[in-house]
Amino acid sequence: MRALTCGPSFKTWPGVEQDMAECSEISLMLGAFEDAELEPNEMQEVAYHLARCQSCSGILSDYSSVGRELRSLTPALDFTAPNLAGFADAVIARIDRLPQPWYRRIERYFGSGADFLGSGFAWGGAVAAVAVVTMLLLTPYAQQMSSRRLGAPSAASNQLAAATVAQPSTANDVSSMADNDSHAVISRLESGNPSVAVWSEPRKDTTVIWLPDQP
Amino acid sequence: MTLRPGSLSFLIIAISAFGTPAFSYAQAAGPRHIYIYIDTVLAADTKEGVDPRLVPMMPKIQGLFSFSTYSLVNHQEGETECGKMIAFTIPSGKILHVQPRAVDGDMIAMEIVLFDGTRPMMTTDLKLKDKGTLIVGGPRYEQGMMFMSIGASTGPRLLSPAEANTPAVPAEAATSR
Repeated sequence: MRALTCGPSFKTWPGVEQDMAECSEISLMLGAFEDAELEPNEMQEVAYHLARCQSCSGILSDYSSVGRELRSLTPALDFTAPNLAGFADAVIARIDRLPQPWYRRIERYFGSGADFLGSGFAWGGAVAAVAVVTMLLLTPYAQQMSSRRLGAPSAASNQLAAATVAQPSTANDVSSMADNDSHAVISRLESGNPSVAVWSEPRKDTTVIWLPDQP
Repeated sequence: MTLRPGSLSFLIIAISAFGTPAFSYAQAAGPRHIYIYIDTVLAADTKEGVDPRLVPMMPKIQGLFSFSTYSLVNHQEGETECGKMIAFTIPSGKILHVQPRAVDGDMIAMEIVLFDGTRPMMTTDLKLKDKGTLIVGGPRYEQGMMFMSIGASTGPRLLSPAEANTPAVPAEAATSR
Protein backbone atom coordinates (compact mmCIF):
# COMPACT_ATOMS: atom_id res chain seq x y z
CA MET A 1 0.00 0.00 0.00
CA ARG A 2 1.26 3.42 -0.79
CA ALA A 3 1.95 6.11 1.73
CA LEU A 4 -0.69 8.70 2.25
CA THR A 5 1.47 11.43 0.95
CA CYS A 6 1.93 12.61 -2.53
CA GLY A 7 5.28 11.48 -3.83
CA PRO A 8 7.46 12.19 -6.82
CA SER A 9 4.76 11.33 -9.29
CA PHE A 10 3.52 14.88 -9.04
CA LYS A 11 3.99 16.80 -12.17
CA THR A 12 6.42 19.61 -11.78
CA TRP A 13 4.54 22.40 -13.33
CA PRO A 14 3.96 25.73 -11.75
CA GLY A 15 1.99 25.67 -8.53
CA VAL A 16 3.40 22.32 -7.38
CA GLU A 17 3.61 23.47 -3.75
CA GLN A 18 -0.04 24.26 -3.85
CA ASP A 19 -0.74 20.80 -5.25
CA MET A 20 1.25 19.11 -2.48
CA ALA A 21 -0.67 21.00 0.09
CA GLU A 22 -3.82 20.05 -1.75
CA CYS A 23 -2.74 16.35 -1.76
CA SER A 24 -2.32 16.33 2.01
CA GLU A 25 -5.81 17.69 2.37
CA ILE A 26 -7.34 15.48 -0.31
CA SER A 27 -5.74 12.33 1.09
CA LEU A 28 -7.74 12.81 4.28
CA MET A 29 -10.94 12.73 2.31
CA LEU A 30 -10.20 9.75 0.09
CA GLY A 31 -11.77 7.21 2.45
CA ALA A 32 -14.95 9.18 2.62
CA PHE A 33 -14.83 9.72 -1.14
CA GLU A 34 -14.59 5.98 -1.67
CA ASP A 35 -17.66 5.52 0.52
CA ALA A 36 -19.45 8.44 -1.16
CA GLU A 37 -19.93 10.16 2.14
CA LEU A 38 -18.64 13.62 1.15
CA GLU A 39 -20.66 16.68 0.39
CA PRO A 40 -21.31 17.27 -3.30
CA ASN A 41 -18.85 20.15 -3.55
CA GLU A 42 -16.20 18.07 -1.74
CA MET A 43 -16.88 15.13 -4.03
CA GLN A 44 -16.40 17.44 -6.98
CA GLU A 45 -13.19 18.91 -5.58
CA VAL A 46 -11.70 15.46 -4.85
CA ALA A 47 -12.68 14.17 -8.25
CA TYR A 48 -11.09 17.17 -9.89
CA HIS A 49 -7.91 16.58 -7.90
CA LEU A 50 -7.80 12.87 -8.73
CA ALA A 51 -7.99 13.70 -12.39
CA ARG A 52 -4.80 15.58 -12.04
CA CYS A 53 -2.96 13.59 -9.34
CA GLN A 54 -1.82 10.05 -10.05
CA SER A 55 -0.57 9.55 -6.51
CA CYS A 56 -3.93 10.21 -4.96
CA SER A 57 -5.61 8.10 -7.64
CA GLY A 58 -3.33 5.25 -6.67
CA ILE A 59 -4.18 5.65 -3.00
CA LEU A 60 -7.84 5.65 -3.84
CA SER A 61 -7.49 2.46 -5.85
CA ASP A 62 -5.74 0.93 -2.84
CA TYR A 63 -8.69 1.88 -0.62
CA SER A 64 -11.06 0.32 -3.11
CA SER A 65 -9.16 -2.93 -3.33
CA VAL A 66 -8.91 -3.18 0.48
CA GLY A 67 -12.63 -2.62 0.78
CA ARG A 68 -13.40 -5.25 -1.80
CA GLU A 69 -11.17 -7.75 -0.05
CA LEU A 70 -12.80 -7.09 3.33
CA ARG A 71 -16.28 -7.54 1.93
CA SER A 72 -15.20 -10.77 0.22
CA LEU A 73 -14.00 -12.15 3.59
CA THR A 74 -17.45 -11.79 5.21
CA PRO A 75 -19.96 -12.71 2.53
CA ALA A 76 -22.53 -14.15 5.00
CA LEU A 77 -22.96 -10.94 6.98
CA ASP A 78 -25.60 -8.54 5.87
CA PHE A 79 -24.64 -5.19 7.30
CA THR A 80 -27.57 -3.39 5.80
CA ALA A 81 -30.25 -5.05 7.98
CA PRO A 82 -29.11 -6.23 11.42
CA ASN A 83 -31.25 -8.97 12.97
CA LEU A 84 -33.18 -7.41 15.91
CA ALA A 85 -35.87 -10.03 16.29
CA GLY A 86 -36.82 -10.40 19.97
CA PHE A 87 -34.62 -7.52 21.03
CA ALA A 88 -37.50 -5.22 22.03
CA ASP A 89 -39.33 -7.99 23.89
CA ALA A 90 -36.22 -8.88 25.81
CA VAL A 91 -35.67 -5.26 26.82
CA ILE A 92 -39.30 -4.86 27.96
CA ALA A 93 -39.14 -8.10 29.91
CA ARG A 94 -36.02 -6.93 31.64
CA ILE A 95 -37.64 -3.60 32.48
CA ASP A 96 -40.62 -5.46 33.94
CA ARG A 97 -38.34 -7.36 36.25
CA LEU A 98 -36.95 -4.16 37.71
CA PRO A 99 -38.55 -3.14 41.08
CA GLN A 100 -41.00 -0.33 40.59
CA PRO A 101 -42.83 1.95 43.04
CA TRP A 102 -46.19 0.65 44.23
CA TYR A 103 -48.08 3.57 42.73
CA ARG A 104 -46.58 2.82 39.35
CA ARG A 105 -47.83 -0.77 39.62
CA ILE A 106 -51.31 0.43 40.58
CA GLU A 107 -51.26 2.88 37.71
CA ARG A 108 -50.28 0.17 35.30
CA TYR A 109 -52.89 -2.21 36.73
CA PHE A 110 -55.71 0.26 36.37
CA GLY A 111 -54.22 1.67 33.19
CA SER A 112 -55.02 -1.56 31.40
CA GLY A 113 -58.67 -1.22 32.43
CA ALA A 114 -58.64 2.47 31.75
CA ASP A 115 -58.18 1.77 28.07
CA PHE A 116 -61.77 0.58 27.99
CA LEU A 117 -63.51 2.10 30.96
CA GLY A 118 -61.69 5.31 31.62
CA SER A 119 -59.38 6.02 34.47
CA GLY A 120 -62.07 7.81 36.49
CA PHE A 121 -64.29 4.75 36.53
CA ALA A 122 -61.36 2.53 37.47
CA TRP A 123 -60.37 4.75 40.36
CA GLY A 124 -63.98 5.01 41.48
CA GLY A 125 -64.17 1.24 41.59
CA ALA A 126 -60.99 1.11 43.60
CA VAL A 127 -62.31 3.62 46.12
CA ALA A 128 -65.59 1.70 46.40
CA ALA A 129 -63.70 -1.54 46.97
CA VAL A 130 -61.61 0.06 49.70
CA ALA A 131 -64.77 1.46 51.29
CA VAL A 132 -66.46 -1.94 51.30
CA VAL A 133 -63.42 -3.64 52.81
CA THR A 134 -63.16 -0.92 55.45
CA MET A 135 -66.83 -1.25 56.29
CA LEU A 136 -66.53 -5.02 56.60
CA LEU A 137 -63.55 -4.65 58.85
CA LEU A 138 -64.95 -1.92 61.07
CA THR A 139 -68.63 -2.86 61.34
CA PRO A 140 -68.25 -5.69 63.86
CA TYR A 141 -65.91 -3.63 66.01
CA ALA A 142 -68.29 -0.68 65.90
CA GLN A 143 -71.17 -2.91 66.92
CA GLN A 144 -69.08 -4.32 69.72
CA MET A 145 -68.24 -0.82 70.89
CA SER A 146 -71.86 0.32 70.77
CA SER A 147 -73.04 -2.76 72.57
CA ARG A 148 -70.41 -2.21 75.25
CA ARG A 149 -71.47 1.38 75.60
CA LEU A 150 -75.08 0.30 75.90
CA GLY A 151 -74.46 -2.02 78.78
CA ALA A 152 -71.32 -0.64 80.28
CA PRO A 153 -71.77 -0.49 83.99
CA SER A 154 -70.73 2.73 85.63
CA ALA A 155 -68.11 2.84 88.30
CA ALA A 156 -70.82 2.78 90.91
CA SER A 157 -72.28 -0.37 89.46
CA ASN A 158 -69.10 -2.22 90.17
CA GLN A 159 -70.02 -2.02 93.80
CA LEU A 160 -72.69 -4.30 95.07
CA ALA A 161 -75.78 -2.25 95.47
CA ALA A 162 -78.44 -4.89 95.50
CA ALA A 163 -81.03 -4.21 98.10
CA THR A 164 -82.51 -6.94 100.24
CA VAL A 165 -85.90 -7.49 101.73
CA ALA A 166 -84.59 -6.48 105.07
CA GLN A 167 -83.18 -3.31 103.58
CA PRO A 168 -85.74 -2.33 100.97
CA SER A 169 -84.76 0.32 98.50
CA THR A 170 -86.88 3.40 98.80
CA ALA A 171 -85.46 5.15 95.80
CA ASN A 172 -87.75 5.57 92.87
CA ASP A 173 -84.82 5.62 90.47
CA VAL A 174 -82.03 3.22 91.14
CA SER A 175 -79.25 4.29 88.86
CA SER A 176 -77.21 1.14 88.95
CA MET A 177 -77.42 -2.15 90.71
CA ALA A 178 -75.35 -5.22 90.20
CA ASP A 179 -74.50 -8.41 91.94
CA ASN A 180 -71.12 -9.86 92.60
CA ASP A 181 -71.21 -12.43 89.83
CA SER A 182 -72.64 -10.00 87.29
CA HIS A 183 -75.31 -12.40 86.17
CA ALA A 184 -77.54 -9.35 86.03
CA VAL A 185 -76.62 -5.69 85.82
CA ILE A 186 -79.44 -3.24 86.34
CA SER A 187 -78.51 0.13 84.92
CA ARG A 188 -81.90 1.78 85.37
CA LEU A 189 -84.92 1.07 87.51
CA GLU A 190 -87.85 3.45 87.66
CA SER A 191 -91.01 2.86 89.58
CA GLY A 192 -93.67 4.91 91.21
CA ASN A 193 -93.60 2.44 94.08
CA PRO A 194 -91.46 3.84 96.91
CA SER A 195 -90.98 0.38 98.43
CA VAL A 196 -89.34 -1.32 95.51
CA ALA A 197 -86.74 -3.85 96.58
CA VAL A 198 -84.00 -5.54 94.59
CA TRP A 199 -81.90 -8.50 95.58
CA SER A 200 -80.19 -11.36 93.91
CA GLU A 201 -79.05 -14.91 94.30
CA PRO A 202 -75.87 -15.24 92.27
CA ARG A 203 -75.68 -18.99 92.86
CA LYS A 204 -79.05 -19.40 91.23
CA ASP A 205 -78.51 -16.81 88.49
CA THR A 206 -81.61 -15.04 89.69
CA THR A 207 -82.35 -11.39 90.47
CA VAL A 208 -85.57 -10.21 92.08
CA ILE A 209 -87.34 -6.90 91.73
CA TRP A 210 -90.09 -6.78 94.29
CA LEU A 211 -92.93 -4.30 93.96
CA PRO A 212 -95.19 -4.70 96.98
CA ASP A 213 -98.67 -3.31 96.78
CA GLN A 214 -98.91 0.15 98.22
CA PRO A 215 -101.27 0.58 101.15
CA MET B 1 -41.38 2.73 48.62
CA THR B 2 -41.80 -0.22 46.34
CA LEU B 3 -44.41 -2.94 46.31
CA ARG B 4 -42.81 -6.19 45.35
CA PRO B 5 -44.82 -9.23 44.37
CA GLY B 6 -44.09 -10.67 47.83
CA SER B 7 -45.51 -7.59 49.51
CA LEU B 8 -48.62 -7.76 47.35
CA SER B 9 -49.15 -11.40 48.32
CA PHE B 10 -48.71 -10.49 51.99
CA LEU B 11 -51.30 -7.73 51.63
CA ILE B 12 -53.82 -10.11 50.06
CA ILE B 13 -53.21 -12.73 52.75
CA ALA B 14 -53.56 -10.12 55.50
CA ILE B 15 -56.85 -8.85 54.08
CA SER B 16 -58.12 -12.41 53.80
CA ALA B 17 -57.01 -13.28 57.32
CA PHE B 18 -58.62 -10.26 58.95
CA GLY B 19 -61.45 -9.66 56.54
CA THR B 20 -62.93 -13.15 56.55
CA PRO B 21 -63.45 -13.45 60.31
CA ALA B 22 -64.64 -9.87 60.42
CA PHE B 23 -67.13 -10.56 57.67
CA SER B 24 -68.41 -13.69 59.37
CA TYR B 25 -68.54 -11.79 62.66
CA ALA B 26 -70.54 -9.07 60.96
CA GLN B 27 -72.95 -11.67 59.64
CA ALA B 28 -73.18 -13.29 63.05
CA ALA B 29 -73.73 -9.90 64.64
CA GLY B 30 -76.86 -9.39 62.55
CA PRO B 31 -80.32 -9.79 64.04
CA ARG B 32 -79.96 -12.08 67.04
CA HIS B 33 -82.96 -14.11 68.03
CA ILE B 34 -83.80 -13.92 71.68
CA TYR B 35 -86.16 -16.31 73.39
CA ILE B 36 -88.17 -14.95 76.30
CA TYR B 37 -89.89 -17.17 78.85
CA ILE B 38 -92.45 -15.90 81.32
CA ASP B 39 -93.75 -18.01 84.20
CA THR B 40 -96.42 -16.36 86.27
CA VAL B 41 -96.55 -17.89 89.70
CA LEU B 42 -98.98 -17.47 92.56
CA ALA B 43 -97.24 -17.69 95.93
CA ALA B 44 -99.26 -17.96 99.13
CA ASP B 45 -99.10 -19.31 102.65
CA THR B 46 -102.06 -21.65 102.30
CA LYS B 47 -99.93 -24.80 102.74
CA GLU B 48 -101.18 -26.39 99.54
CA GLY B 49 -97.76 -27.41 98.36
CA VAL B 50 -95.97 -26.91 95.11
CA ASP B 51 -97.50 -27.17 91.67
CA PRO B 52 -95.80 -30.16 89.97
CA ARG B 53 -95.12 -28.00 86.94
CA LEU B 54 -92.99 -25.76 89.12
CA VAL B 55 -90.78 -28.53 90.43
CA PRO B 56 -87.93 -27.67 88.03
CA MET B 57 -88.08 -24.07 89.25
CA MET B 58 -88.19 -24.84 92.94
CA PRO B 59 -84.46 -24.87 93.60
CA LYS B 60 -84.39 -21.24 92.51
CA ILE B 61 -87.62 -20.21 94.21
CA GLN B 62 -87.00 -21.80 97.56
CA GLY B 63 -83.82 -19.86 98.08
CA LEU B 64 -85.66 -16.61 97.51
CA PHE B 65 -89.05 -16.96 99.17
CA SER B 66 -90.54 -18.86 102.06
CA PHE B 67 -94.14 -19.34 100.95
CA SER B 68 -95.84 -22.67 101.48
CA THR B 69 -97.85 -22.71 98.27
CA TYR B 70 -96.62 -22.18 94.75
CA SER B 71 -98.92 -22.51 91.78
CA LEU B 72 -98.14 -21.92 88.14
CA VAL B 73 -100.75 -19.51 86.83
CA ASN B 74 -99.45 -19.01 83.37
CA HIS B 75 -96.54 -19.93 81.15
CA GLN B 76 -95.70 -17.95 78.04
CA GLU B 77 -92.80 -17.83 75.76
CA GLY B 78 -91.93 -15.86 72.69
CA GLU B 79 -89.19 -15.25 70.22
CA THR B 80 -88.00 -11.83 69.19
CA GLU B 81 -84.82 -10.17 68.09
CA CYS B 82 -82.70 -7.32 69.28
CA GLY B 83 -84.53 -4.04 68.95
CA LYS B 84 -87.99 -5.58 68.74
CA MET B 85 -90.33 -5.42 71.69
CA ILE B 86 -92.42 -8.40 72.66
CA ALA B 87 -95.51 -8.09 74.86
CA PHE B 88 -96.96 -10.58 77.29
CA THR B 89 -100.35 -10.39 78.91
CA ILE B 90 -100.19 -11.21 82.57
CA PRO B 91 -103.20 -12.23 84.69
CA SER B 92 -104.74 -9.53 86.88
CA GLY B 93 -104.62 -7.05 84.03
CA LYS B 94 -100.93 -6.51 83.80
CA ILE B 95 -98.84 -6.31 80.66
CA LEU B 96 -95.16 -6.96 80.35
CA HIS B 97 -93.09 -5.46 77.57
CA VAL B 98 -89.66 -6.93 76.94
CA GLN B 99 -87.33 -5.42 74.41
CA PRO B 100 -83.91 -7.01 73.94
CA ARG B 101 -81.37 -4.39 72.97
CA ALA B 102 -78.13 -6.22 72.33
CA VAL B 103 -76.15 -9.33 73.08
CA ASP B 104 -72.77 -8.73 74.65
CA GLY B 105 -70.96 -11.97 75.20
CA ASP B 106 -73.22 -14.08 77.38
CA MET B 107 -75.19 -11.07 78.60
CA ILE B 108 -78.44 -9.90 77.04
CA ALA B 109 -79.22 -6.21 77.37
CA MET B 110 -82.93 -5.50 77.51
CA GLU B 111 -85.58 -3.10 78.67
CA ILE B 112 -88.53 -4.38 80.66
CA VAL B 113 -91.65 -2.38 81.35
CA LEU B 114 -94.46 -3.66 83.53
CA PHE B 115 -97.83 -2.04 83.02
CA ASP B 116 -100.80 -2.16 85.32
CA GLY B 117 -103.44 -1.61 82.70
CA THR B 118 -102.09 1.39 80.87
CA ARG B 119 -100.06 2.75 83.76
CA PRO B 120 -96.39 1.79 83.83
CA MET B 121 -95.56 0.26 87.19
CA MET B 122 -91.90 -0.35 86.63
CA THR B 123 -89.32 0.34 83.95
CA THR B 124 -85.86 -1.13 84.03
CA ASP B 125 -82.84 -1.43 81.81
CA LEU B 126 -80.68 -4.38 82.62
CA LYS B 127 -78.26 -6.91 81.28
CA LEU B 128 -79.23 -10.44 82.11
CA LYS B 129 -76.98 -13.42 81.80
CA ASP B 130 -77.94 -15.78 79.02
CA LYS B 131 -80.42 -18.27 80.48
CA GLY B 132 -80.50 -16.19 83.65
CA THR B 133 -83.71 -15.31 85.44
CA LEU B 134 -85.22 -12.07 86.60
CA ILE B 135 -88.16 -12.27 88.96
CA VAL B 136 -90.54 -9.36 89.10
CA GLY B 137 -93.23 -9.67 91.70
CA GLY B 138 -95.11 -8.30 94.58
CA PRO B 139 -98.65 -7.46 93.53
CA ARG B 140 -101.38 -9.20 95.46
CA TYR B 141 -103.21 -11.86 93.53
CA GLU B 142 -106.05 -13.95 94.87
CA GLN B 143 -104.97 -15.34 98.25
CA GLY B 144 -101.31 -14.50 97.88
CA MET B 145 -98.83 -12.68 95.77
CA MET B 146 -97.94 -13.01 92.17
CA PHE B 147 -94.52 -12.95 90.64
CA MET B 148 -93.23 -13.40 87.12
CA SER B 149 -90.11 -15.34 86.37
CA ILE B 150 -88.60 -13.79 83.25
CA GLY B 151 -85.99 -15.82 81.46
CA ALA B 152 -84.04 -14.87 78.36
CA SER B 153 -81.73 -16.90 76.22
CA THR B 154 -80.12 -16.64 72.83
CA GLY B 155 -81.21 -20.15 71.94
CA PRO B 156 -84.33 -22.21 72.54
CA ARG B 157 -84.09 -23.98 75.85
CA LEU B 158 -85.05 -27.59 76.36
CA LEU B 159 -88.45 -27.99 77.87
CA SER B 160 -88.59 -29.23 81.39
CA PRO B 161 -90.76 -32.29 81.99
CA ALA B 162 -93.45 -30.07 83.51
CA GLU B 163 -93.44 -27.74 80.53
CA ALA B 164 -93.41 -30.61 78.09
CA ASN B 165 -96.76 -31.73 79.53
CA THR B 166 -98.32 -28.42 78.72
CA PRO B 167 -99.73 -27.67 75.27
CA ALA B 168 -97.35 -26.37 72.67
CA VAL B 169 -96.96 -22.64 72.38
CA PRO B 170 -96.55 -20.77 69.12
CA ALA B 171 -93.29 -18.92 68.72
CA GLU B 172 -95.06 -15.59 68.44
CA ALA B 173 -95.45 -13.39 71.43
CA ALA B 174 -98.20 -13.11 73.95
CA THR B 175 -99.44 -16.65 73.65
CA SER B 176 -100.35 -18.15 76.93
CA ARG B 177 -100.91 -21.65 78.09
